[in-house]
Amino acid sequence: MLKRKRIPVALLAVGSLALGACSDGGDNAEPLESLDIMAPFFSAVPPEEDDPVDKALSDLAGLDLSVQWVPNTDYGSKTNTVLAGDDIPDVMVIQGKDQSFVQTAEAGGFWDLTEYLASGDYPNLVTENPQVQEAASVNGKVYGVYRARDVIRTSVILRQDWLDNLGLAQPQTTADLYEVARAFTEDDPDGDGEDDTYGIINPAWGGIGNGSPYDAIETWYGSGNLWREEGGELVPAFTTDEWLQALQYERDLVANGYVNADYATMDPATWNEPFLNGEGGIIIDVQSRATQLAGLFKEQDPEHYDQYVALVGQLDGPNGTYALPTSGYSGFLAVPRAGVQTEDQLKQVLTALNELNTTEAQNLMNHGIEGDNYTVVDGEAVFDPAKQDFTDQVTGAWAQLGMNVAGYNAYPIQEETEYDKALYQQRLDLQAEDLANAVFNPAAGFVSPTYTTSGAQLDTIIADARIQYIAGQIDDAGLQAALDTWRSSGGDDVVQEINDLYADLN
Amino acid sequence: MTTALAADREPPLARGPGRLRRLRRDAVRYRWLFLLMLPGLVYFALFRFWPMYGARIAFKNYIPFLGIDGSEWVGFAHFQAFLSNPDFPRLLVNTLVIAALSLLIAFPLTIVLALLLNELRLQILKRTVQTLVYIPHFLSWTVVVSITALLFAIDTGPLWTFFAGLFGTDANMLADPDWFRPLVLMQMVWKDTGWGTIIFLAALAGVDQEQYEAAIIDGAGRWQRVRHITIPSILPTITVLLILHTGQILNTGFEQIYLMSNSLNRTVADVFDTYVYFAGIEQGAYSYSTAVGLFKAIVGLVLIFGTNWLAKRFNQQGIF
Repeated sequence: MLKRKRIPVALLAVGSLALGACSDGGDNAEPLESLDIMAPFFSAVPPEEDDPVDKALSDLAGLDLSVQWVPNTDYGSKTNTVLAGDDIPDVMVIQGKDQSFVQTAEAGGFWDLTEYLASGDYPNLVTENPQVQEAASVNGKVYGVYRARDVIRTSVILRQDWLDNLGLAQPQTTADLYEVARAFTEDDPDGDGEDDTYGIINPAWGGIGNGSPYDAIETWYGSGNLWREEGGELVPAFTTDEWLQALQYERDLVANGYVNADYATMDPATWNEPFLNGEGGIIIDVQSRATQLAGLFKEQDPEHYDQYVALVGQLDGPNGTYALPTSGYSGFLAVPRAGVQTEDQLKQVLTALNELNTTEAQNLMNHGIEGDNYTVVDGEAVFDPAKQDFTDQVTGAWAQLGMNVAGYNAYPIQEETEYDKALYQQRLDLQAEDLANAVFNPAAGFVSPTYTTSGAQLDTIIADARIQYIAGQIDDAGLQAALDTWRSSGGDDVVQEINDLYADLN
Repeated sequence: MTTALAADREPPLARGPGRLRRLRRDAVRYRWLFLLMLPGLVYFALFRFWPMYGARIAFKNYIPFLGIDGSEWVGFAHFQAFLSNPDFPRLLVNTLVIAALSLLIAFPLTIVLALLLNELRLQILKRTVQTLVYIPHFLSWTVVVSITALLFAIDTGPLWTFFAGLFGTDANMLADPDWFRPLVLMQMVWKDTGWGTIIFLAALAGVDQEQYEAAIIDGAGRWQRVRHITIPSILPTITVLLILHTGQILNTGFEQIYLMSNSLNRTVADVFDTYVYFAGIEQGAYSYSTAVGLFKAIVGLVLIFGTNWLAKRFNQQGIF
């Protein structure tokens, strides 16, 4: 009996210890001696504390970097645990404007960096692309230095050998694409006399506005990018006529069998296979997939690998020329107030981040140690195959800290062959061409409370209705019903809130 | 078993000071039994009861940064929001249909399989079959769903070809709403029927063999022996498991349903568990999803008491 009585007492003791620890923040106005950073990593193992890149970056930053590496898959839940705990780092990579981040920021949990970044005191933190910084902000407040990504990535990738067999030109418009998809399905592009090919390879894709082939086609039709301005008001892209027109185009492609039959369930991880095996001939996805596919063909057919992949930029639609950009960033580095308590400390942190954006730091983060795992030949980085593990660790971990908001000037990576070099150059050319037509999301920087709490469900209503319409499961009336559900489930509130913010900030 | 024996020996506990004295005497006499109980008690206290302290966030607007104590108290707001959600009826129907399939088809199949195994005379055959049917239980849902995706791949999967021929359809069964429930049921049956027989086989092993001998002498056939001896003997076990299953009725299991759902079948695939995932993990609505979880737990509790009461009414033993 005595033993049983002691258990709850012991538990209470443990519990109150934990609670006590939580409320014990600690006041410290002394200058920072080290910079504690929390960041995700993709590599097999994270860098150790005595990592040479860590040392070199610490020397540059003038503060000892101490990075808490968290596997990318666990990063979201770890972020929340860390925010709820008492051991909060000085700098955190925040991967998205989700509910817990926005609430924490609005409750004063992070420094508002808007003025500091605009002051020009930290030249390497002044963005070269204000539109992206605006997209990464929360209702006009910049809470972090964003991690820059290519603004244009979407492209059309086709089997060049099939186009050649059929004497077809590379598609320039959505109508061309339809014709190529038809020919790839019906005209025996591989010349084996059998009806065993189809046009577009499309994997299962949830959500809206996340770079899916559907999003691309809708933008090319002129639906806008998630939101569109109409007479001074912002309307959701999926309420526009152009959106519906694009859906009808997609539905026709599916109904005629120009798209793989398992488009609603295909695992995106197997996306390359039908292209390589000669089942399907068109992929609408990021440009880097073309490079990846060319590499895979090189393994299959080293002699003629340069004849399989055609990379085409974004297509003209029936209503004009529009290109789908990415959001241009992948999360941002924010400064929690719990770790950095005074303005002097904040300035220390920003000075360090400024140093971490120099060309020297960019080379360290993206390539590693010059003269060790890579050398520079003709101004290009050449990696030592014997130190591939180290290189992989650098690119899988340190590169995640890269912000590059004021430009990326690290050495380009040397391509193996002339074809690879030409393909890379073509990617850059297409990016420049499409950037001129890029349709940015005018509401990217707005955070609506309703969307924050129920956005995932709202998006799912639209994403599911889209696929159901394309599959022929629902008709125009069914699509309208789904839109009504969206409106009554909070969509109308989102529209109202976004437009209020739009009116306030313009 | 020991507690039952103790109860046989001791008169019922008296009220008042005598009771306390008796308790103290029992604590000393059965100290080793109490010691054996200790790890279990610690487990429940630490991992089952202590976390309930955190269930408070269902009644608050929990923001991790502010902590549980610092977050605003909102009472039943999250419960109201959930019950008045337009998705609620659909979630409820989907959850109940899957639960009903599990309870009315998968559960009886377990009993049937156990009875069949019990009738096997050849021990080596019985053991081999038993081991084989246990194996699927140890595969994760991810593996089971991947196997399903291969077998039911449109145009190429062997089972797709079989069923397409049988029903004269060319639907993508993995995406078709009409095929979602059959597929999920097939997976449940394949994965856990074998494993579920263990407890029934244990109960069957406890049936008094003399009853069978007596029945054989009286001229009872195999079917009659199963009907009049085996089934009545394991009926208490069936009742207990049924009650426990009923309490789990709203827990359809997250992984299987989540992995099997896609844009085209979501109308029938959305259940409470996937909803909690979307709301809680994807959107970080911790308070809201905790409220949903708590709601599920309360319904489960009510159902356990309800079935238990029913079982007692029909002259069966309940679990408490």
